Amino acid sequence: MALNRDRLMDVLDKAHKGPIVKQFDWDTRVIPGTIADKLKKYGLQKSCDPANPINQDLELADRFFEAGLEVATEAGMLCTDTQRAIRFSREELLAGLATAPAAFTLGEGKETAHFRHRSISDPISPIWISPLSIAVTEDVFEPLVVGIASVPEVDCLEGPSFETIWGASLRAGSPYELLAGKMQAERFYSAISRAGRNGIGLYAVATSPTHYGVLGGYGVPGGYKPERDIVLVLSPVEIKTSYENLMKLAHAYNCGGRTYGGSWSMIGGYAGGPEGAALSCIACTIMLYNVYQCVNGASFPYDLKTMGNCGRQALWALGLVFQALSRNTHICANSVLNQTAGPATECLLYESAVGMMTLGVCGASSCTGPRSAGGKYTNFITPLEVKFAGEVFKKCAGMSLAKANDIANCLLPRYEHELGHPPKGQSFKECYDLNTLQPTDEWRKIYDKVKDEAIAAGMPLS
Amino acid sequence: MDQQQLAHLYASILDTDPDAAAAAAQAVVDGGVDALEAIHVASEAITKVGDLFECGDLYLPSLMLAGEAMKRSMAILSRTIGAEQASQNKGKVVIGAVSGDIHDIGKNLVATMLSVHGYEVVDLGVNVPPMEIIDAAQREHARFIALSALMTTSMPYQRDVLDLLCEMGVRDRFFVIVGGGPVTVEYARMIGADGWGASAVSAVKVCDRLLQSNEKPPVQSTFLQK
Repeated sequence: MALNRDRLMDVLDKAHKGPIVKQFDWDTRVIPGTIADKLKKYGLQKSCDPANPINQDLELADRFFEAGLEVATEAGMLCTDTQRAIRFSREELLAGLATAPAAFTLGEGKETAHFRHRSISDPISPIWISPLSIAVTEDVFEPLVVGIASVPEVDCLEGPSFETIWGASLRAGSPYELLAGKMQAERFYSAISRAGRNGIGLYAVATSPTHYGVLGGYGVPGGYKPERDIVLVLSPVEIKTSYENLMKLAHAYNCGGRTYGGSWSMIGGYAGGPEGAALSCIACTIMLYNVYQCVNGASFPYDLKTMGNCGRQALWALGLVFQALSRNTHICANSVLNQTAGPATECLLYESAVGMMTLGVCGASSCTGPRSAGGKYTNFITPLEVKFAGEVFKKCAGMSLAKANDIANCLLPRYEHELGHPPKGQSFKECYDLNTLQPTDEWRKIYDKVKDEAIAAGMPLS
Repeated sequence: MDQQQLAHLYASILDTDPDAAAAAAQAVVDGGVDALEAIHVASEAITKVGDLFECGDLYLPSLMLAGEAMKRSMAILSRTIGAEQASQNKGKVVIGAVSGDIHDIGKNLVATMLSVHGYEVVDLGVNVPPMEIIDAAQREHARFIALSALMTTSMPYQRDVLDLLCEMGVRDRFFVIVGGGPVTVEYARMIGADGWGASAVSAVKVCDRLLQSNEKPPVQSTFLQK
């Protein structure tokens, strides 16, 4: 489905003619004020229940959606470059959501990934997009991507991202990013060919967070292919857009491509506690699908204190957001899972187990991850945690919310005490043989142990 | 009457209401209340706000509004007794998210916490080129430069600031602290930053320790605060 020009022009018009809102007022009054009003109006305050990290009250999720729709209608989305709010009426927002596809494909040939809207406890297998934009050195990029693309559970690729480009520091907003956009596509095509996964869908451009990577790499000869790959448009918090994002949108339109709309809300940030963050995510998702006409994406919560979303409060908010979106829209909602521990640690796998299960049962169509070691360290990502997360995500499809909640409560005590100071673990070079692309015995044993414990807790991983 | 006006000032900051804080400060001045005492009361209020935030009882928008309330009341109070005397100021900090980086939540958090703890903060916003940061630090006679980077592709600009300061022969005029999601202790050391903090609270501790050290920038070993 190509981007609609009239809707694109309407968004650009609103970004330049919408009501003026200064960013300080947006951050300190519009967002917190609107969210507080709706939490109160819909009786959503203090609804977070850490004892039940996977929400069991679906009527609550529906009330959150209604409240989120009101937040989106009243606040809109701030364009930070023009300091104007992009606003639509409630009817326009619902009509915009209605135009989003309930199913679409990425990739081509035998690697075509079939995205579908998923309901709560849906037995349809969700789509696993891996990994996140974790920086790696140039020598590691190709073997790592071959290793990850060789994981059968992986349906599409997004990261990793380059730390340097032909030896030079990769700098945001610079000509290096233009070069990196195409370089990443070329290196991806080389690696997926070696892995025997030609045709796998790609998210563009992980290496370059600004628009320059997309301009340099998407739709150019030898670059990402608009007919099978998709442009990442990642909005800054809280419910904001910018010229950078709108230029990616315009470029996707020019190329006949499609967009992924993503954002997040931090528990403890502008939106407040877990309830506020969940509400903000729902409102933001409604705006993402209207402003970017995206076919995939969503806003997801995570916790400012742990910088992850695998703790109790964040899991509750995460599950609730996707329950609300699943029950009240037909979109193909995607979440990001932010782990905090690094490769070759039990903590990383426990975070993945509980987080991926939560998303799998709460109606997410797809998930992008993992963010091993919080994405903080160069080369700290390996194919084994990618495989484990994908296994959990797909095999927990169809599980009931009640069972998932029981499993979460069983596994959370094994790792939640570590979230404030997560173990760094080991880099790809330390816990993998780069020639055979096999993990060390130590890392394999950790994987086997956690998998056995997850099975014992009730996960259908055997 | 004095106590009532001071109580209003305290409450307005605790209520995170900049307009009310400015009005309360003006009432203090108009009423002839001792401005130094009023500044002491305002400082107690903002410290309380900081404590509430650290406990999770207040969120970022309230912290930012309380910081604004403090700033506006201080501007009024200091006029009556002179900036020098009024100052609870530990030093001026020029802060910004470096080039290519439009993430502001961490930077805003650090800016506000520094402000709450007695630093005068000049916030340059996001996506700020290295030379612009240095120009501002020189113009403002800052003691600290605080650099935020939330992306690996913006981290090289933190290093650029340090390299430029050295090349321009002004490295010894500013303590440079760095932070942000992917910015590690090791990276801070490698680029020669004077301080690194894992959180907004630790950023304050790093600045305090740098001031107390009596060292001149660049410091011998990077001050780190988990």
